[in-house]
Amino acid sequence: MAPIPCAVCKDSRALIVRPKNHQKLCKNCFISVFEEEVHQTISTTKIFSPGERIAIGASGGKDSTVLASVLKTLNSKYNYGLELVLLSIDEGIKGYRDDSLETVKNNAIQYDMPLKIVGYDELYGWTMDQVVETIGKKGNCTYCGVFRRQALDRGAKMLGIKHVVTGHNADDLAETILMNLLRGDLSRLARSTNIMTGDDSSDVRRSKPLKYAYEKEIVLYAHHKKLEYFTTECIYSPEAFRGSARTLIKNLERIRPSAILDVVRSGEDMAKMVSEEASLFDHCRSQEGPQINEQGGEEDTGGCGGSNGRTSGGEMAEMEKLLVENEIASEREIDFTSEPIIVGEKSAKKLLQTSGAQPKKQSQPKVNRQKLGTCSKCGYMSSQQVCKACSLLEGLNKNRPKIEIEI
Amino acid sequence: MDTPVALVSTTHTICERCKQNPANHKLRTEKVCAQCFSVYITTKAIKRMETYRHRGPKTQASKKLLLPLSFGPCSTSLLYILNDHLQGQYDRMNRATYELIVVHINIFTTPKDREISFKRLQEFQSRFPRHCFRMINLEESLQVEDIDWNTIDTFLLPETRGQISPDVKLSQLIGSIVSPTSRAEMVSILFFRLLVSFGRKNNCESVLFGDSITKLAEKTLTVIARGNGSSLQWQVSDGLSPLGISCKYPLRDLNKKEIVAFSLLATPPLDGLIIRDDTTPMSSCEKPSTINDLMSQYFESVESNYPSIVANVVRTCGKLRTMTSQNSTPCGLCGLPFDNEMGTLSCDSGISSSHQPIQLPKHVSSFCRGCFKLVSNTQ
Repeated sequence: MAPIPCAVCKDSRALIVRPKNHQKLCKNCFISVFEEEVHQTISTTKIFSPGERIAIGASGGKDSTVLASVLKTLNSKYNYGLELVLLSIDEGIKGYRDDSLETVKNNAIQYDMPLKIVGYDELYGWTMDQVVETIGKKGNCTYCGVFRRQALDRGAKMLGIKHVVTGHNADDLAETILMNLLRGDLSRLARSTNIMTGDDSSDVRRSKPLKYAYEKEIVLYAHHKKLEYFTTECIYSPEAFRGSARTLIKNLERIRPSAILDVVRSGEDMAKMVSEEASLFDHCRSQEGPQINEQGGEEDTGGCGGSNGRTSGGEMAEMEKLLVENEIASEREIDFTSEPIIVGEKSAKKLLQTSGAQPKKQSQPKVNRQKLGTCSKCGYMSSQQVCKACSLLEGLNKNRPKIEIEI
Repeated sequence: MDTPVALVSTTHTICERCKQNPANHKLRTEKVCAQCFSVYITTKAIKRMETYRHRGPKTQASKKLLLPLSFGPCSTSLLYILNDHLQGQYDRMNRATYELIVVHINIFTTPKDREISFKRLQEFQSRFPRHCFRMINLEESLQVEDIDWNTIDTFLLPETRGQISPDVKLSQLIGSIVSPTSRAEMVSILFFRLLVSFGRKNNCESVLFGDSITKLAEKTLTVIARGNGSSLQWQVSDGLSPLGISCKYPLRDLNKKEIVAFSLLATPPLDGLIIRDDTTPMSSCEKPSTINDLMSQYFESVESNYPSIVANVVRTCGKLRTMTSQNSTPCGLCGLPFDNEMGTLSCDSGISSSHQPIQLPKHVSSFCRGCFKLVSNTQ
């Protein structure tokens, strides 16, 4: 069979079949098309402004490595005028994070970007090695996820930066959308589809420039540009159960590659259909009102290199138990709103007596609007009196002499 | 004679509802007998038919309702339940508030398959004689005027010239679609359009689907995976659809396993009528070739362990508002309103332009995102 020419330039031989749409491209055109699509995402959503300082959440994994490389290329090619900084979080996992941070240090030299590393021990007085020693492997991912999310924001504040970009890709987003659907969480569904969360009134904004990029294409891009990245999975979750949403996404991609992007777009459309009570949907920067970033929320997905989409095994079982209990409770309700009842005087009295015996419950409880506040302990933003990280930290510190946390 | 309690508890369990019969059925968290199980299923379905209770003046005419029959356990169970419901109404009040028109749509085109379907429909007629039974073929959807056939033919049948019979044309149309999952989507869209068109011609007020909550959850994720999240409300919710007819799902409170179990308890038995597509463990190992099949397998596995999560998916989507925009127009294929501005990014035109260099803007504006990809054969 004759070699297939590249679909774009028609000259070179096609070496790559794009996972996104099965387009056959040569190496140079693939790199160019990939970068161009990221640029289109950035320019159409206007997530950057000239002169802005941007912190790239860098883990050493493929997503953040590709993000740093692409942003550097586009920043010079299209004159974004951005000042790019690498920001890494050291969880304190010996044999894993120290090796991946070496990769980030090499990237910093290679891309000529400043690098800031913030450690858990520096912020919280605990490394993940110590956390696992205390509580064991089960549940430690929750601690790590909560800590990391806050640490990234606090690291950005140390640098005086108000905008953090992460390497979440289309696969991560599609997975998050399906997961929130299975959880029945409309608020989180609305927030997770936004390319940027938060605005000027928030401490730190988050953006996902690789939102429409496929994971497979990110790997191909890294490979053909010969980018160095770290691939080892977190050593504390080698047996973690892969979420069913992720398995479903991978199967979908096999049947129809464009389905991942279709899920993302459906998520965006559904986000607009969520009632305003359920979410403060910040579609553009000029819209009033801050976007709430819930602790341990939607952006836990896809962090920490290769540990994408890991969830605790019992999550669906707990959800099922809760829903069954809700259903049993709702069967005891008396529903007066199903249709208008025309009753005589005697019947009306009976109904009143009955309703007195069993107080009427709201069939659909009003979705509580979350309010942005600050933690009374560390000053970080939180919807509760004390933020999640401090709550977890308090539990850990009960078994240890008190250590002052400095910001 | 008084039986010792210990002996009773060791031999079998008693039904938790009636406390009399042996409990050989599991109803969510309860163990119940066959009769209580049937009553539960029937009550759940009839509850959804409350809008057709006796109300208003006695001279009010009966409403016509369309019931699509696939010969599967769900649509047959719905027919069985509503048949009893109508009989009960007639026995008590000497009249019924609604009447059913049962329709079977032939998807397959071979004469032998149609002969088999026709005979089966006759058996249904004998079993439920009070209803009107009709059979139509999928190629009749080619005459649905609301569908933009000119544009679709341009995309999918560019070489066809002259007159050909409708069934051959339909076969060519579907055969020209590249991927199996797109072919399945085209068939289901045409099926639905034909159903609505038939219902309107026969002055039906609503279409009663036999979809279980499992089926609705599958449909929800299929629609989302198609990129049509904005039209989700029209496809899985009860109520008036943009196509001018109401869609109702009386069995939406029940999952598929429960309905299948119910269909095995009917008296006299329905076994001679129902076509069962029982999935063996062997076939579930096969890789699904369409998105529908994937979602079907997925929720089948989720349902066995977490049935409430399946119901919660559909309930969650029911809370979404319908998107009514000034820019919305009906799609030339599926007929649902869409906003051409919603969710459109340059990435779309960047990708599609490499496939359709001669593409004109007017084509884009007449189809929603999912249907445009279907029609333009871009996977």
